[in-house]
Amino acid sequence: MSKSEILDIKESQELINQFSIIVRSSQFHDPDNVAVLNVLEKFLPRINSYIEREGLLKIDLIGEFFYLNDSRVKYPMEFLLNFDYLAREFRRREIGTISLTGALSEEEMKTFLRSFISSGYSNTPFEALDAMLEDLMNIRIERLKRVVEEGEVDRRKIVKKTYFNAVSFTKGIMTKLKAGEKVSIKRAKRIVESMVDLILSEDQLLIGMTAIKDYDDYTYHHSVNVSVLSISIGQKIGLHRKSLTELGLVALFHDIGKMNVPREILNKPTAFTEEEWKTIKRHPYWGTLAILKLKGIDRMSIQSAIVAFQHHLNFDMTGYPKIRERVDLDFYTKIVSIADQYDAMTSSRVYQRIPLPPDRALSIMMDRAGREIDPILFKFFVNMVGVYPVGSLVLLDTREMGLVYECNPIHADRPRVMVIVNSEGKKIEGKVIDLTEKDDSGRFKRSIVKTLDPNKYKVNLAEYML
Amino acid sequence: MADTGEIRDLIQILLKAKKNFRIYPENNPMYQKTIDDLLNALNKPLEYTGEIPLRIKQYRILYEGEVVYENTDKDESLALFFFKDGVRELTFRQGIRRDEVEDFLQIISLDFEKDVLDDDIVTLMWEKDFRHISYVVDDTILLDDHGYEEEATREALESGGGEEEIMKAYEEAFGVERPTSINIVPLTNDDLKSIIEEIENEPTDKTMILIRTLFEMLYISESKTDFSDVVELMKKAIQYAVEHANLETPVYTVRQIRKLLDSGEFSGESAQILRGVDLFVNSSQLIRAFGEVMDSGAEFETSLIEDFSGILSKTAIPHLITILGELKNMTSRKTVISILTELGREAPGMIARGLADKRWYVVRNIIYILRQIGDRSVLEYLTRSVRHSDIRVRKEAIRALGEMGSGEVINILKDCIYDPDESIRISAVRAIGQIGTAVSRKIILEEIRSKAFREKGFTEKKEYFEALSRWPDETTIELLVEILRKSPFFKRAKHDETRAAAAFCAGIIKARKAEGALMKLRSSKNRLLREHVISALQRIKDVKV
Ligand SMILES: [Fe+2]
Ligand SMILES: [Fe+2]
Repeated sequence: MSKSEILDIKESQELINQFSIIVRSSQFHDPDNVAVLNVLEKFLPRINSYIEREGLLKIDLIGEFFYLNDSRVKYPMEFLLNFDYLAREFRRREIGTISLTGALSEEEMKTFLRSFISSGYSNTPFEALDAMLEDLMNIRIERLKRVVEEGEVDRRKIVKKTYFNAVSFTKGIMTKLKAGEKVSIKRAKRIVESMVDLILSEDQLLIGMTAIKDYDDYTYHHSVNVSVLSISIGQKIGLHRKSLTELGLVALFHDIGKMNVPREILNKPTAFTEEEWKTIKRHPYWGTLAILKLKGIDRMSIQSAIVAFQHHLNFDMTGYPKIRERVDLDFYTKIVSIADQYDAMTSSRVYQRIPLPPDRALSIMMDRAGREIDPILFKFFVNMVGVYPVGSLVLLDTREMGLVYECNPIHADRPRVMVIVNSEGKKIEGKVIDLTEKDDSGRFKRSIVKTLDPNKYKVNLAEYML
Repeated sequence: MADTGEIRDLIQILLKAKKNFRIYPENNPMYQKTIDDLLNALNKPLEYTGEIPLRIKQYRILYEGEVVYENTDKDESLALFFFKDGVRELTFRQGIRRDEVEDFLQIISLDFEKDVLDDDIVTLMWEKDFRHISYVVDDTILLDDHGYEEEATREALESGGGEEEIMKAYEEAFGVERPTSINIVPLTNDDLKSIIEEIENEPTDKTMILIRTLFEMLYISESKTDFSDVVELMKKAIQYAVEHANLETPVYTVRQIRKLLDSGEFSGESAQILRGVDLFVNSSQLIRAFGEVMDSGAEFETSLIEDFSGILSKTAIPHLITILGELKNMTSRKTVISILTELGREAPGMIARGLADKRWYVVRNIIYILRQIGDRSVLEYLTRSVRHSDIRVRKEAIRALGEMGSGEVINILKDCIYDPDESIRISAVRAIGQIGTAVSRKIILEEIRSKAFREKGFTEKKEYFEALSRWPDETTIELLVEILRKSPFFKRAKHDETRAAAAFCAGIIKARKAEGALMKLRSSKNRLLREHVISALQRIKDVKV
């Protein structure tokens, strides 16, 4: 990330934050009060210079997020409460957008603040505020759009499409390679870039897609899942988008050696024999060879080959293939192997025949961290997938049962849950609720009390997620 | 909305800019002007429209539903250029910056058939992450199987349990006790720091790790084909490493292979295949790559060059000689010379073959190398170079003969002291002196005493006397005194030159016996003579103290 990009992000975060502070202090004091004036004195020149530079300052509230001139503003930890406060005040007034189209004088700003506060007491706050702002040439507001649901459907469509494109593409590559045909890396890059885009927009849905395991050709889904999860870890540690693509590509190809493992073995419903294991354990070797023969030697193929070879080697050098000389595992290898182990453990088709529930898989990996798994990267991983990873089956204190649907990057133990059985014990069409919701007295409306094994009951995630 | 005519013009300017960017390098004023022209052409309509959305069809570009560009030529069409990679819409926005225009032009002016193998336009634009240029792509062009999403969805949906199972889960949920055991440990600054450190320490060139991986693969290869494949990849990795100025990798590889061969772990055919790496390292292909990377400005530590030359064998010599004549960079030539010197110690004859090279500067370098090696077995070849058509070569050859030769080359050198070129004559005198045999002395004395000597230039005379100084005995000193005392009437100036040269020699050998003769010339009117005498006297006096 370049320095100027970081500055941009900081600037927009601070603008939203200060805006929230001003609104809040105007709630308790008149804008002519010194307390407000002090903040205003700093704030006004800032927004005015922003408007002068960009021509416009537009704050949108879409879903949970603020957008400043159409770019999503990341939720910074330190400003969390202020962001939440401002979002609430927007919603209370049904405001979706505030646009400032020209520089504001101090008087105009004060008028705006007074109007904003007093509209909060009106029964039709949006109309009230709109009327009060009529004389202010440079400020416009728009109503909060209730199309969030619709937007969500679109978003799901894009995510689904991106995900399945990737799987279909991976399948195509492996089939072609097996037939000895050339494959183009250009296309692979494009596929991964579109996944990186989704993950960079902090969309949890794509990670959600990795929770669905009921596909016949699981090897291809597994490759894509490992790619998605690896990119997500990479994003969490702050890799640049170009590196994320590299990481995603490398992850996508990590199991390419499996094309040499007979399908009958890969898709076998029962446990492997010793002979079969021997064959399977050759896949890192075959993968490395395939990648290098396919592409020749360049930066990308070197990186992919190293990961393909090392991805079953552990942090403590156990694992396979057996090697003679100790090496420091490659950085990308360490990320990919965490993603790989998690996805393999939670599915029934990669190595073991009985899948583990996501939280069980995590706790097993937690035990391995430090010996077989890089402990710090694992910490990033857990923070990314949350205590209850997507796909976990959970019982709530309201006697509702549901599937974890989307993690909350800020409150790891309060994900969004799709309720599938209501508190009366009736199966219902999935309804998504947010565990951060509070009642009037400030208590959480719902909390998780227990996790269950979704596989034991053959709860079909696909039914709710696709 | 902008006037379509204006957008039509804009596209023509864009096309022209695309062409210009292929022609003019960055430091050309046209390059800069091209950016400015396009930026202006964009800004004009953007000022009042805010954005220019262009719809991309296969052969046409549309603005607000109207065709603003059309070209069905497969190689020329700007529409097709974007269309084939899936771009369906391209939008320029108000606020577009000069650097964005430049980056954009750099991308679209690339030759995607030749220069860019792994990226397409979309990837390159994606990497730039433009703020004021956006695009819509159709990703379905990437797929072969369009029905996959539907099929997989259906499959996944069919495989689950029904309502009964869910209700069973719900009933049992209240009974089972399965506390979650995961605690989220919040990330700390130290975690981030250690990760950043790790990222920073990642090698940018991972070829060495690749080679080590390939060695591990050798050990576990199960078939001969696989084994040879791995070895072939090692060669390619070495080539790649050298092209990227990484000599550690070939050094490690060859040493490791030699160790393996010595250990006897691989024998027969496998050993033969492994030896192929050795051959490759010494091949013209690799040596050429090495030369190119050096010429591109790569610099290496001396110890690394020594290691590298240590893995080469004499078979590399002819290829090194070839690149020696091609390298443009002085430092790289020096490096090759030092490698050839090392390798040549084992095979001076192979180096000497370079004397037949058509390029005079190569021959001169080869003679220099042979001089450094100092192996007398190549003297015969060197004597031929004394007759080379280029004076610079001849001088180097004479010098080499002087350093390495003995009696047997003296006659060849003697011929050279009558050469029409003074610098050749001087070199020959020096070489004869250097050989230092009785015959040498005889030749020099004869020349000095000859009548013709007086007519020679001062530098040449001085060379003779310097050669003579190798024998600081009575005979020499007597000759010096004799010359210093002699004061002919005619051609005085020429004789004074000879005297000055003799004085110079007396100084070198600190001939006290010549002091008297020198003292008399101390205030000579001839400045050259006077100066040489004074300096000779000073050197002689120094010895007294
Ligand atoms: Fe694997
Ligand atoms: Fe895997």
